[in-house]
Amino acid sequence: MYTLLSGLYKHYTQKEEFYVIILGLDNAGKTTLLERIKSEYSGVPGLAPEKIAPTVGLNIGKVDISNARVNFWDLGGQRELHSIWEKYYSECHAILFVIDATDKERLDEVKQTFESVISSDEIEGVPVLMLANKQDVPSSLKVHDIKETFNQIALKLGARDSKVLPVSALRGEGVREAVDWLFVRLQRNRTNRPPVYRS
Amino acid sequence: MGGYFSRLLSRLWGNKEVRILILGLDGAGKTTILYRLQIGEVVTTIPTVGFNVETVNYKNIKFQVWDLGGQTSIRPYWRCYFSNTDAIIYVVDSADRDRVATSKEELVAMLEEEELKETALLVLANKQDMEGAMTHTEVSEALGLTSLKNRTWTIFKCSAKTGDGLTDSLDWLVNVVSGGNK
Repeated sequence: MYTLLSGLYKHYTQKEEFYVIILGLDNAGKTTLLERIKSEYSGVPGLAPEKIAPTVGLNIGKVDISNARVNFWDLGGQRELHSIWEKYYSECHAILFVIDATDKERLDEVKQTFESVISSDEIEGVPVLMLANKQDVPSSLKVHDIKETFNQIALKLGARDSKVLPVSALRGEGVREAVDWLFVRLQRNRTNRPPVYRS
Repeated sequence: MGGYFSRLLSRLWGNKEVRILILGLDGAGKTTILYRLQIGEVVTTIPTVGFNVETVNYKNIKFQVWDLGGQTSIRPYWRCYFSNTDAIIYVVDSADRDRVATSKEELVAMLEEEELKETALLVLANKQDMEGAMTHTEVSEALGLTSLKNRTWTIFKCSAKTGDGLTDSLDWLVNVVSGGNK
């Protein structure tokens, strides 16, 4: 009886927590996106984009969506910091991979980086959402352009949920759609990666 | 009541007071950094016994900076200052490879404190002017920063002697503290 009651109590008071890592090359707009997510979901204005400096360590964003808490880990995108990314793989429930859609010259580098991320065994089956950021710039690559490049490595994605969506972290367009997509996948993938419980 | 009014006033004037601790082993350069921030000059210091407290005004934010001594005998008392801390500056002597492991132990023990559970952490890889100094990536590896998952953190290389890197790191602190991004 006690177990039942305490179980019920826990069920109603505990909060499910998910962890999402935000990856991508430097200057893709990861921290701007994080600040935008924070302001969209918590109502508190985020850091102004012009104040954002390149990330070296870790930025954290916590947002509550329906009954769960989603924690975002925003990591630095510079080449020498990529080794830090994998330290977060085993504990993450999803990956947000941000692309600077205006930077066509680095698309190959993006592809290689993305390929090495998704090839890691530690995140097998973890949902991946790729975001074509900076859609506010008219000349930016559109989703179908980006898909063309990444179709070549689509096989490596394996049996996981993945998608490419357009966003403008600067203006906030598409950000809610992106997070909503992610949230549904976090729930669907819960047998593979169960949420963490914190009371 | 007085505290309430002063908080209200400071909100009106936009002069937020923020408490920051500067911590690190002895000889890391904490006091030198503190005075560099405050008066912009290099001050010859002696090992700090007890603490130095100075107010640093930067971009409309009043930083109350506590520099706690770094000798082994003093470190247990750091804990007394942990409550109401908005951010921690942890200073490392990047040229002292022998003691970086000790520095890590000290840092890890400190971050386990309940009162600092979500406090933002700024690590300064100091003494970059010295030959053979570890890079900031080496220091972050050595300190195990990458295993921190529940707090916002960053690392800057700096030299208290030349002043390099200090304003950048303060800018980071301003953003974190004013953005409520602990």
